[in-house]
Formats: sequence, C-alpha cells, structure tokens
Amino acid sequence: MRLTFTVNGRRRGIEVPATTRLIDVLRVHLGMTDTKEGCSEGECGACTVILDGKAVNSCLVLAPQVNGRDVLTVEGLAGDAELTVLQAKFIEHGAIQCGYCTPGMLMSAKALLLHDPDPSETEIRMALAGNICRCTGYTAIVEAVQDAARAGVEQNGPR
Amino acid sequence: MAHAELLTPTGLGDLPAALAGMTQRSRLLAGGTDLVNAMRRDECRPDLIVDLSGVRELAGVRREDGVLRVGAMTTFSQLQVDPVVRQYAACLAEAAAQVGSTQIRNIATIGGNVANASPCGDSIPALMALDACVTVLDGDGRTSSRPIRDVVVGPGATSLSTGEVIIDFTFAPLRPHERSVFVKIGSRSAVTVARLSAAVVVECNPAAGTLSAARVALGAVGDTAFRDAAVEASLEGRPANEATAQRFAEACANAVCASIPGRHSLPYKQHAAVGLAYDAWNGLAVSPTCEPVWD
Repeated sequence: MRLTFTVNGRRRGIEVPATTRLIDVLRVHLGMTDTKEGCSEGECGACTVILDGKAVNSCLVLAPQVNGRDVLTVEGLAGDAELTVLQAKFIEHGAIQCGYCTPGMLMSAKALLLHDPDPSETEIRMALAGNICRCTGYTAIVEAVQDAARAGVEQNGPR
Repeated sequence: MAHAELLTPTGLGDLPAALAGMTQRSRLLAGGTDLVNAMRRDECRPDLIVDLSGVRELAGVRREDGVLRVGAMTTFSQLQVDPVVRQYAACLAEAAAQVGSTQIRNIATIGGNVANASPCGDSIPALMALDACVTVLDGDGRTSSRPIRDVVVGPGATSLSTGEVIIDFTFAPLRPHERSVFVKIGSRSAVTVARLSAAVVVECNPAAGTLSAARVALGAVGDTAFRDAAVEASLEGRPANEATAQRFAEACANAVCASIPGRHSLPYKQHAAVGLAYDAWNGLAVSPTCEPVWD
C-alpha cells in the first residue's frame, strides 16, 4: 500500500505491505530507531508514539491506521535543537538509567501534558501506567514529569 | 507478518462491497490491539484486511429517539469521558476506563472488544447489564439487530458470519431512578486483565423504599460473560440495606460456583466474588430510602 503520513512535522510517502506495524514503518522503513520495541504486545509501552495527539503503542498499530495522520516520535521532541524541558527534567531527576523505556515514557508524558498542562500525581501515574521501567523505579520519572509540568512550557504544542 | 490484501472503505456506503469480498480467513481491522497480536503470533494469516478506520460514521455516541447509539469504532478513551455515556450509562464509561493502558484505550474500540469475544472483555458485561442490542451490517448492505448475549456465544466466538460487521450498539439510556456500576478485579489495579468483573444496573423505587429491578452480568468467569437471574433476584424488591448487600454477595459467589465447577481458580474466584459484590454495592451508592440520587 501507499502510505502517506506526517512524522514529526515532515510529510512522508512510502510503499509498505499493509500488515506493516507502525514501529517497523518508523524503525525499518524510515530509519528512525529512537522509538524502541520492547514486549511487542502492547504491555510495556517502550514503543509509545503520539498519533493525532494521543499516545499509542506503535507495535499494535498497522500502517493503514496512520495513513493521512500525524505521528510524533521522540525524535520530534527536540528535533535538532536543544532538549525540551521534559527531556531535561528526566536527566535532572535521574529518571533515566538504562534508557530503554525512556522514549516511551517521554511520549506518554508528552501526550498527557499536551492535554493537561497541570496534571495531579495520580493523573501522571495513570498516564504512565502503560509504561514499564525495570531500573529506576517510577518515583524519579513521576517527579520529572511533575517538574516539567511546573515549568509549564510543555503546553505550547509539540515543539 | 504474512502479507494481506487491504481494503479501506471511506464511508458506510462503501462498506458492504468490502464485506462482500471477505472469506473465512479475512479479518476486520478496528483498533487492531487484538488482531495485530494474533497476526504477530501467527494465529491468523488474513488473505484480506478490511480496515474500518476510514468509516467515520462508525465512531461516536449519539442519543436519538430515546436510544443511545454507540458506534462500533468508538474508542475506550472516548467512552470513558463521553458526557452522555457517563450520565446515562455510567457502567460502560467505568468499564471503558478500566481497559488496558492509556495507549490501548486510545485506539482499542468497543466493537473490536465485543467481536474479539474474550471471556474477560470489559465492555461485554456492561453492555449485557445495559440490555444492549448489536447492530450488524452484511455484504448485501442489510442491517439487523440482535441482543448482545446472542452475539457473544463462546470464548473468542461470536454469531457473526463471514462478511458481517458490528456497526453500533443500542440501548435505553438509564433513567433518573436507575443507577449502574462496573467493577473488576485483576492482578493489579491498573493495566490489568479481569480475573472477575461485574456490571450492575438497578432501578430504585423510592415510594416502596426498595430496588424494584436489577440486571447483573458477570465477566471473566466461564466461557462468556452472562446475566444471572438468581443474582438479580437477590436485589429485586429488596431494601437498600446491609442484609441485601450480603444476599447479593452470596448470590454472586454462588453464581461463580455454578459457572466454573471444578476449575482450579474456583476457590479464589468464589471468595473474590464476595469482595467484588461489595465493591459494586458501594459503587452503586443507593441511598437507604432508594431515593434517586444523581452525582
């Protein structure tokens, strides 16, 4: 099938089998390997990207479902510029250890802050409930998101 | 994953032609959260995928002629915040809010949940307690309506024929003197598969000070979710007091025993049913006088 969609603000058109998962569109066909594949079955959240403003597991979405739509990946947070506040807060709070869950954590947190710039701790924990971290534990991650929300600059769109 | 042909009808008018081309191997793509996993595990190799994402008419909730109509492609994220669903079918909004993770709820649909017919699918008991009907469209463009219990007929099995698709669910909006709740128990509090679930609708009769009618469906206990007459009878005509709550809890435990005799999970689920029943009772929050109270 001909897949035409927007990734991180850039229009892309590629030919892929209709059964191609979004994660494979990104990593294999477009060479965008910052989005990580973990469990491959929608449990771990490592592959989370934002589809039309909402967090989804890119391992469970097929190419036809993103045709004509808008995808934001972790590469699109900072672009070539400096890190966003959310990313900087993850570093500042030590919310990264091995880093494998981090792209997914960032995108789930980003999707939350897009819709709710001032979430409660419970709302943050619920938004991240579909993202599993095996090293730092969740406290530092939740604190990083809280701090980013306080900084308040993440509410102004994806960039 | 094996290759498949793809059809993406762009509206309800185009859908029957796509359905007409389906074989037993073909699959409908709704949210995809079950289908993609099944394909990745090589449990199915569709020759044709009919992608429903282009059929805009299938998404959303409408209230018309005293009926709530929930489109099959409505996502759980939409259902959990929809003001009409929250007010007139609270148990369905509560069930939607407890499906998987945010990422899953953002793309998984109620139509897919029912068509997948998992014994632990969260929307199925809620739809049963709401006495919902399922509207089905076929490849000839004909629609028919059948009760939810006649659609979900076994674990992973529905009565839908090849080339039939669920287009929406209809039910009467709950009235001011009716209350509903959905509760479930899983291995953890969020992002969990139901080990046991229940949806309850009760009708309050303040003049008599009793619950005048009840519909109770249990899920994740047996091959399919089911309504249980004895559980419903434990509430009907009873005052809203502790004795009724206790009878209700006992009836739920009995229903679990009858549903999965000899199953290794029975000792656990029999006890869990009592706690689940109290969760439901507390969630219903019927006042002792059975006065209608809307949040």
